[in-house]
Amino acid sequence: MTVSTREPPAAKTRSLVASVDDLRIHFDTKAGVLHAVDGVSFDIFDGEILGLVGETGCGKSVTARSFLRLIPTPPGNYAGGRIDFWTKEARHSGGAPIDLLTVSDSEMRSMRGNRIAMIFQDPGKALNPALSIREQVVEVFYQHRSEELLDGWSGGAPRAIRRAASQRSGKFEWLAFKVPPLRSHSRRLNRRIDEMVGDALAETQIANPRKVMASYPHELSGGMKQRVMIAQALACNPDLLIADEPTTALDVTIQARIMELIRELQQSHQTSVLYISHDLSLVRRISDRIAVMYAGRIAEIGQTQEIFHDPRHPYTRGLLAAIPSLAHKRGELAAIEGTVPELIDPPSSCRFSTRCSFATEICGQLDPALDARPGIHAVACHAYTSPQELGVRPDQLPRLDRTVL
Amino acid sequence: MVDTEHRQRSPFFTSRALAIRARRFGEVARDVLRNPTTTLGLVIIVTLIGLALLAPILTEPNVPDAYQMPRDWGALNLPPGSPDHLLGTTSTGGDVLYGVLWGARTSLQMSVIVVGITMVVGTMMGSIAGFIGGKVDEIIMRFVDVLLAIPELIFALAIAAVLGPSFANIIFALTVVFWVKYARIIRGQIIHVKNNEYVDSARVIGDSQFNIYLKDVLPNSVTPVIVQATLDMGNIVLVGATLSFIGLAEAGLAEWGVLVSEGQAGISAGRWWASTIPGAMVFLWALAFNLFGDGLRDVLDPRTEGR
Repeated sequence: MTVSTREPPAAKTRSLVASVDDLRIHFDTKAGVLHAVDGVSFDIFDGEILGLVGETGCGKSVTARSFLRLIPTPPGNYAGGRIDFWTKEARHSGGAPIDLLTVSDSEMRSMRGNRIAMIFQDPGKALNPALSIREQVVEVFYQHRSEELLDGWSGGAPRAIRRAASQRSGKFEWLAFKVPPLRSHSRRLNRRIDEMVGDALAETQIANPRKVMASYPHELSGGMKQRVMIAQALACNPDLLIADEPTTALDVTIQARIMELIRELQQSHQTSVLYISHDLSLVRRISDRIAVMYAGRIAEIGQTQEIFHDPRHPYTRGLLAAIPSLAHKRGELAAIEGTVPELIDPPSSCRFSTRCSFATEICGQLDPALDARPGIHAVACHAYTSPQELGVRPDQLPRLDRTVL
Repeated sequence: MVDTEHRQRSPFFTSRALAIRARRFGEVARDVLRNPTTTLGLVIIVTLIGLALLAPILTEPNVPDAYQMPRDWGALNLPPGSPDHLLGTTSTGGDVLYGVLWGARTSLQMSVIVVGITMVVGTMMGSIAGFIGGKVDEIIMRFVDVLLAIPELIFALAIAAVLGPSFANIIFALTVVFWVKYARIIRGQIIHVKNNEYVDSARVIGDSQFNIYLKDVLPNSVTPVIVQATLDMGNIVLVGATLSFIGLAEAGLAEWGVLVSEGQAGISAGRWWASTIPGAMVFLWALAFNLFGDGLRDVLDPRTEGR
């Protein structure tokens, strides 16, 4: 089993935004306990895009969702570990992180959309069909930026308007907004909302924000909807953006533009991004570092360059080899043999050993640990562990043929 | 689930989107009216409701109690077409036209009250069950299952019979019987809708649970409830008339079921009008709401397309 050997992360040269430490998320199923995420550790640095790659069911989405505590409990439960998160203020003052898994619900709510935002895979499903775009984007302002909505009132806004700006109006209060003296104030707030929502939309290069604002999701294209989602996610300038396969449901041409947009906005907002995808070649284009996940574990983590030029884990190598390229002949598609192991009550062996062509006896007995020091190129494979540490002979360890690629 | 602080939505939601909503309503209305049978249903509904509302103008209300049939003891068993009694009279001198018009009024009252209460109660119970889930869901839905297991008519009959014959008791009995359907429908919808990604995405921006329910879950779940309510407007009058036919309403009430029962003895003697005309009204009422409800379902629920 992976043992967390890390010191609690202290101030470093590059400041951390989030640090996942030995995260374990289990699901109670009829067949047993499913270890969806089983001892995952990684760090997200300030201003970087970390790509989290893995195949369906490897736990990458579960990991990402746990940042916002979106895992339904039950059946899920946070079986261990922590997710430390530093807000901008904490990073600048060297303050203590918040453990996202244990903060109170109200604190979690104040983080959501404000400090940590998320965009989803299918923008078609992630927007409420019954509300206009304006009504959906303004929601995030109501929740977290009501003071900004009230900007520009000399001598302060009336209390009714202040209530309205944080969505706390009484049931029939809107009637009062129809008549003087509140009518002018309410119009002003409306204009302010139009302005702020318009600005948020314009940032995602939506050509006609005013028009888009008034439309309903079904009137927009997929790419447009994803832009709206991004606009909403970045509206409050979050410290961390979690993008859960944001381009999977889109056409290839739109894909490229959305990714470019995320990259650009990430730079202008100085936001860190956790970019989840099953497509390694896609992640390469956008991320600074990549973590490869396999069966609830991190198999390998490192700089994008390192992963592509010096892939160490046999699984990473397999993935890279499986990317079709023009050099391949027609019909020649590489695949990794075998299937992903069951994650219900998994054995204490290397998760990949059943599919690994280099596996030795030791791989079926011991689980390789991942060196979790932040920022290094780390790999969870016995081929890279020292025999002394495991107490075995060197020839008992797998030997990777370095010329595979 | 309840977060009292944030429970109300902004005034702008109501005022500004109203125009857009009105436009959408117009679209739905146009689609509904494109179908001739639905339009026919709507025309009958409007006519019947119009008759119900105009009853005091079209007929002289009975002075002590307008909902009691006036008795003209000098004109028993008149056939339709008689100058003072256009649709004839019953064997006890009740004017059939009066009964038909004021019966429409009682039917309207009955269906509006019952549908109103059952829709609200059912939606609340189903929402609590579906949105909270877990044990609460289990308890509410097992209770609903028990109620659903008893045949509608017999259950309503039993309740009304225990409480004694009165129109109010019929309404009470129907309310007890009919809310469960709504609970089940809305619960299923909510469980389906709450797993939508837009609910997650509302959660992700820090929205409260109650707000999510009000803004994301409920508006996307109510359509089948509206359809069911339309159909029930017809069903309730049908079941209600059955109960009063059996004799569970006050004797002499201007109600279609009561009239049918009053006139049935005369059918064998050739005096068909006293029970056939009010019976036809029940039929028309139920038919109209069913036609309209079906058409509405076709428009609102794309899954049942392709008739």
